[in-house]
Amino acid sequence: MWEIILFYFCGGLMLISGIMMVASRSAVVAACWLIFGFLNAAGIFATLSAPFLAVLQVLVYAGAIMVLFLFVIMMLQSPVLEAERRPLSGWVWPALLLPPAAIAITVIGWMRVPMALQPAESLPAGFGKVEMVAELLLNKYLLAFELISIVLLIAIIGALSLGRVERRLPWR
Amino acid sequence: MAISLTHYLALATALFLTGVLGVLVRRNALIMLMSIELMLSATNIVFAAFSRHWGDLSGHVFVLMNFAVAAAEAAIGLAILVEIYRRRRSVNVDELKILME
Repeated sequence: MWEIILFYFCGGLMLISGIMMVASRSAVVAACWLIFGFLNAAGIFATLSAPFLAVLQVLVYAGAIMVLFLFVIMMLQSPVLEAERRPLSGWVWPALLLPPAAIAITVIGWMRVPMALQPAESLPAGFGKVEMVAELLLNKYLLAFELISIVLLIAIIGALSLGRVERRLPWR
Repeated sequence: MAISLTHYLALATALFLTGVLGVLVRRNALIMLMSIELMLSATNIVFAAFSRHWGDLSGHVFVLMNFAVAAAEAAIGLAILVEIYRRRRSVNVDELKILME
């Protein structure tokens, strides 16, 4: 029962905050709405019996990534864009019907699959615990783990080389 | 009535398409990057929902991979944005059309 309440509460709030993020004029307000949405995503993970992911969602997404965004927004000092004051072009308005239509297609399509509306079968013991996820991550998916660490390393090097201030060297 | 896979898929679809709309409609590059983060978050929900549905923890591992990809994307994207702002004094993507002309 509490699962259902939490799902509708967090899902609804996350959807609202996503829409407000897209619609807000100022980038700071958009970032704050997105942080609120990511906190609600942690609640969604909690209903999916994934406590580890819920904690990481708050720590990594709402904590680290969005703080980086806010830092850059404050640094750029141009939260409001003049050009966005112009009215939206005509093809945008039919596109606003896209999310409801996609939800309808998803729901109707999956209702035709007989097991889709059943709740999940009984879970194995320790599902979603840190030990189980870590065991899978460091045994079966070890190669993917190593590769993702290389991706992060390349991202660090790329960000460093992009953000470097070019000094005027005497021989140039 | 318990929550089924379909509920999660509908929620994730709506979130993903909200992100798509943000990328298509907005001209502020910062908000476009945030919309991409929203799309990645929607795929995370799908991974976790299928993981719960089948009782298989592999989806959780791939959510962790997705966290790393999102962090890398944010770092690189914001570094590029800062560099663009340093040269052009703007993050409006309508003004960035050197390669188009």
